[in-house]
Amino acid sequence: MTLPTPPPDKTSDRAMSRRSFLRGSAAFGGLTALAASLSPLRELSDFTSTDQFLQKYYKELTPDDMTKVIKRIEGDVQRQYGIRPHVRDLRPMDGVEFVYCLNLTRCIGCRKCVHACVAENNQSRNPEIQYIRVLKLPHGSLDLEKADHHYAPESVPEKGFFYMPVQCQQCKNPPCVKVCPVNATWQESDGITVIDYDWCIGCRYCEAACPYFARRFNFAKPEIPKDKINPNMAYLGNRPRKMGVMEKCHFCIQRTRVGRYPACLEVCPVGARKFGNILDPESEVSYILREKRVFIQLKEEIGTSPRFFYYFDK
Amino acid sequence: MNPHSPPPSGSHGNRTNYWLAGLTVGFLGVSALFLVNSRSHAAPTQKISPVDAKFLETTPWRQTYTDLVKAKEDLSDYDCYGCHEKNKPPPIRFDAKNKIIIPKEHQNIVMGHGSHDRNDLCYNCHNEQNLVTFQVRDGRELKFDNIPPLCGSCHGPTYRDWEAGAHGRTSGFWDRTKGEAQRLSCASCHNPHSPRIPPPPPARARPASAARSRRHAGPPRTGPLT
Repeated sequence: MTLPTPPPDKTSDRAMSRRSFLRGSAAFGGLTALAASLSPLRELSDFTSTDQFLQKYYKELTPDDMTKVIKRIEGDVQRQYGIRPHVRDLRPMDGVEFVYCLNLTRCIGCRKCVHACVAENNQSRNPEIQYIRVLKLPHGSLDLEKADHHYAPESVPEKGFFYMPVQCQQCKNPPCVKVCPVNATWQESDGITVIDYDWCIGCRYCEAACPYFARRFNFAKPEIPKDKINPNMAYLGNRPRKMGVMEKCHFCIQRTRVGRYPACLEVCPVGARKFGNILDPESEVSYILREKRVFIQLKEEIGTSPRFFYYFDK
Repeated sequence: MNPHSPPPSGSHGNRTNYWLAGLTVGFLGVSALFLVNSRSHAAPTQKISPVDAKFLETTPWRQTYTDLVKAKEDLSDYDCYGCHEKNKPPPIRFDAKNKIIIPKEHQNIVMGHGSHDRNDLCYNCHNEQNLVTFQVRDGRELKFDNIPPLCGSCHGPTYRDWEAGAHGRTSGFWDRTKGEAQRLSCASCHNPHSPRIPPPPPARARPASAARSRRHAGPPRTGPLT
């Protein structure tokens, strides 16, 4: 009474073997998952265009390439913020080496420099990125373990404390440059250590290497109100960054490389900040290093040789 | 084909189909989840208010006589002989404790030059013979718009620093071949009658990230520079 099993009807739609069903559904599910997992790439087009992706290394760009790159950046900024910026690729000036001097006797810790820097350099407002940290230290020591950078009294300075703003020290021997695996950060001939935001891969090695905690990482997409954009931009300076790249103080390249003072200096209400060309014996910084009690480069003993000098008046 | 596999029975085939259907639904669910996840953005955990515009001001907090002249403002306050008589130096009066008495007409002046009273004497700087000028101890007579040499006659080291550009605010161009640097005069920051600059409120610190404030609930952390 055993009936022979009927041969599978290959022409019929209704008859489907377990195997082909399994194959089909697995392939379908797999493809769907793949498509879904790739879908964040669509958002990348917001800030990574093909041009940017294929862009050459900064030092290999010809002037023609640079013109194109700058056009691309200006277009990107206009699309994103509705403002036509003026982007320039400013190169170091001959016979110029920048030095910053900060008078610890004068600094009152008002944090005006911090916020002038944020406004000048198109830093993200939310999450807020600040290049300068003002440390409050008790008189009579320079013990950084006792430093507080969250102070919020009624008025400054507070009795018994002095204030020490810390930002990128533009080291002569920068550890951050040594660790960069892709050479996205380097020291230029005027002493400024710059970052190419289009070349940075966001590994954050430099942040870990910096003894001054001067480098900041864009963990989120930077948020800048449209009316707060500073349209005077430089390629290696304050052009808007994207998520996933490092940034830091660059001595306001967009200002200093055309001869102007940096923004933190101009806003300082007590004149504690001095900036200039150390190769010019007539400059303010030369005078200060010659005449004043320039007593520290921060963490001098680790051999980074900063171009940022702290000094006292009396 | 596995020759040892038992021939498919009805119940066995059903179970396989259930499994397959379940797997497919699972796959689809996971991919839907992926899609939703990739579309949504983490909501900003906190609202950060912009800093007050006064902290971005680059202009000094005081106006000097020179500024008023430049702005073509009312200078009648500086016309001393509108009220005073010429060749008749106004007398300075002191109270029982030997403190200077500020006349009613000059009530807006707060005397506090130094932590002692020795400098609270008008004719240390003003010229009693000609009230619209200053007098330096060495006999020089200076106009109202030229006070640094007057201040410098006592504050020598500061004057030297100021001349070299090391004291006081600067703005403009560090490269003098490209443009000018704007220097301020003493009275742009210091009130000559009470030169100590009043302590301002500080601008706010960087708001701690949400993650950090969760980790360090309680008073703000004081951290080392590491």
